[in-house]
Amino acid sequence: MNIRFHPFKKNRKEHEGLSRRMFLMTTTMAGVTTSAMLGGASIASAASINEAQGTMLLRMVQDIYPHPGLLELSHYEAIVATIGKNADENPESADDLKAGLAKIDEQSQALYGKPYAELEDADAREGVLRHFQHEGFFQGVRWTAYFGIYDNKDIWPLFGYQGSSVEHGGYIDRGFSDITFVPEGPTLEERMAEVQG
Amino acid sequence: MKSAWLKFRDKGTKMAQFELNDDSVVVIIGSGAGGGTLANELAQKGVKSVVLEAGKRFDIGDIENDEWAMFSKISWLDKRYSGGGWHGSVNHPTLPAWIVKGYGGSTNHWAGVALRFKDFEFKTRTNYGAIDGANVEDWPIDLDEMTPWYEKAELKMGVTGKTTGMPHLPWNNGFRVLAEGCRRTGRTDYNSGPMAINSVERDDRPQCQQIGFCMQGCAIGAKWSTMYTELPRAEETGLCEIRTDAMVLKVEHDEDGKASGVLYADKDGNQHLQKARIVCVAGNSIESPRLLLNSASSMFPDGLANSSGQVGKNYMNHTTGGVYAALPEKVHMFRGTSVAGIVGDEVYHDPARGFSGGYYLEFLSLGLPFMAAFLEPGNTGWGRSVAGALENYDKMSGVWVLGEDLAQERNAITLHDSEVDQYGLPAPIVSKTPHNNDYEMTAHMYETSAQIYEAVGATDVYELPAYPATHNMGTNRMHADADKGVVNAYGQAHDIDNLFVSDGSQFTSSAACNPTLTIVALAIRQAEYIAQEMNAQNI
Ligand SMILES: Cc1cc2nc3c(=O)[nH]c(=O)nc-3n(C[C@H](O)[C@H](O)[C@H](O)COP(=O)(O)OP(=O)(O)OC[C@H]3O[C@@H](n4cnc5c(N)ncnc54)[C@H](O)[C@@H]3O)c2cc1C
Ligand code: SF4
Repeated sequence: MNIRFHPFKKNRKEHEGLSRRMFLMTTTMAGVTTSAMLGGASIASAASINEAQGTMLLRMVQDIYPHPGLLELSHYEAIVATIGKNADENPESADDLKAGLAKIDEQSQALYGKPYAELEDADAREGVLRHFQHEGFFQGVRWTAYFGIYDNKDIWPLFGYQGSSVEHGGYIDRGFSDITFVPEGPTLEERMAEVQG
Repeated sequence: MKSAWLKFRDKGTKMAQFELNDDSVVVIIGSGAGGGTLANELAQKGVKSVVLEAGKRFDIGDIENDEWAMFSKISWLDKRYSGGGWHGSVNHPTLPAWIVKGYGGSTNHWAGVALRFKDFEFKTRTNYGAIDGANVEDWPIDLDEMTPWYEKAELKMGVTGKTTGMPHLPWNNGFRVLAEGCRRTGRTDYNSGPMAINSVERDDRPQCQQIGFCMQGCAIGAKWSTMYTELPRAEETGLCEIRTDAMVLKVEHDEDGKASGVLYADKDGNQHLQKARIVCVAGNSIESPRLLLNSASSMFPDGLANSSGQVGKNYMNHTTGGVYAALPEKVHMFRGTSVAGIVGDEVYHDPARGFSGGYYLEFLSLGLPFMAAFLEPGNTGWGRSVAGALENYDKMSGVWVLGEDLAQERNAITLHDSEVDQYGLPAPIVSKTPHNNDYEMTAHMYETSAQIYEAVGATDVYELPAYPATHNMGTNRMHADADKGVVNAYGQAHDIDNLFVSDGSQFTSSAACNPTLTIVALAIRQAEYIAQEMNAQNI
């Protein structure tokens, strides 16, 4: 499990009703490095990818970044299509990917006697994938999913992110200070008075 | 909007052109906060200079409101390695730092926080004492000496506050949440400045339009950057030539051991030797020491200006982390200034806290792309916990915490023994291993931030480890004693009179605050000193 709850210093009682504090990063990281932060880890090919592999990838990208109430299946399908396209353009990483998918199924069979995509429990599926998270093929799928979701302007509104604003004159007249559950900031007059004199 | 506001002074002005064998010029390496400021200050005093900038000539039209597009466009992505015990040596193995390669340097990406050092932070050895495993020393200058230079820097950059009389910026949603948490936890020192961002129209630059994306470059020029202030102004004098796509490979010296010029590669890889009367190194704290180390010769086998052995050592990048809180209601933190407010209550030295030095909390908004990449960096940052946290994106407010990073000799820029960059130079390894002081301070930072956000009803609080370094300091440190530092109080190399260091690598200690105001103040002061020493024929 990859969430580490931060130790609370105060006694339990005082902390009931308080927020959950999380340090998400897992503590152990095998020495596998993707190239640069976004690993240039390129992803496998796709005319090369058969239907079963496609189904598996579709399950995988949903397990990597699961947003069941937020994203449509079509968003994930688009990511799998990108993975396929990348694979077609790069036969070598396509082979890696296919070998990787086979290893995932092997692991799943060994642990649960079923292929990965047929595991019903999300925890079990994530657990199987965690075994392979430091491998290039996995990070290739992962970063393609990352860019397909979080760097995708069509999806941003679903997360409440509005993105580029310069073409709209900034947020100065578009709600940069519109929340009501905390007090307003100081007025211009108050801010002026602070710095003068 | 852009063109209506910003006047491009350089258009139509004929830039100076100096001969390669003109040995009367000052050569400045790098066009960022240090180099850009120095070039303009010297030009205004009538001193001729050639600025050599490794990156491209960007202009304000290149700025986009897009995190990854700007990262790919302007970041320094030449070969580099992360080393040491920090998580980045695993999670960011080839991106130890996030800084810029191009006209204007990292002042394109910087957020604009413009804080002064506190007096105790110039005297860390005196105030903290000797600390095991650390290399803590006093600066040869103090706050009294620096105050007039800080004022000049604030006027130049347009920093909100008393010096300019410009009000601090209006408070945006994300900062209002933080500020209310501060109020409820009894804090008093929190405000939306000092920022080098125009809150009113000033100095031919417009008022901030709350665009957000300050760290991708300010598309209208409300935030100070040397790209559209110091550099075009220097060029306009006709005394400063700025050559972009000019990567300096080596600083050359003559038989007396004086700097005589620099060897650089142009964009086609052709090498040129530009002669110089004075050489000023301002390539930021990774490239500056790397260049001095790569300039080793038979006279200086350990690298230029390195008789102290301190070149490349004492690398500091602040003790940092991030904290994001999910609030019960929408916040839309990305609307408006990226660093919209600063909390200064924790900036004091009290050993009873279990660590030396203090730290700031700075409100920092990230767009969804960066949030998703940095919430849990590295190979493990996926799965239900991460995805679930990201569904709170529009309800988040958060801070970047940064505090004093104690100098350690083992934290250093060294040269790789086999890997070379595209110019054939040994690639730098940037090593950073946190000191015990850092672990203690980080725990305190996380606790303080969480308490503040819990006081405004946070439902979840996420703690993020350090990002790739944006503040880089200390690798050519200043010291009164030539055995303990590389440069003197003016950034002049102890070993070589006509060699200067003009960036944050001069820092003796990191202080808690962001470095740029101090880099600019030191560059203004250094320009005065260089002009005076040139007039006196001392250099
Ligand atoms: C995202 C981000 C946010 C930041 N926010 C803040 C903030 O709010 N407040 C603050 O105080 N600071 C901030 N900083 C830090 C600030 O940008 C730096 O402290 C400052 O720009 C450093 O100035 P410099 O002159 O040392 O280097 P830079 O500004 O990085 O300039 C160095 C230049 O030298 C060039 N160069 C390097 N080597 C060579 C060579 N061999 N030959 C030729 N050219 C070379 C580089 O291409 C570069 O353009 C931030 C930085 C980043 C990245
Ligand atoms: S918020 Fe203000 S300073 Fe930042 S980019 Fe926008 S206009 Fe420029």
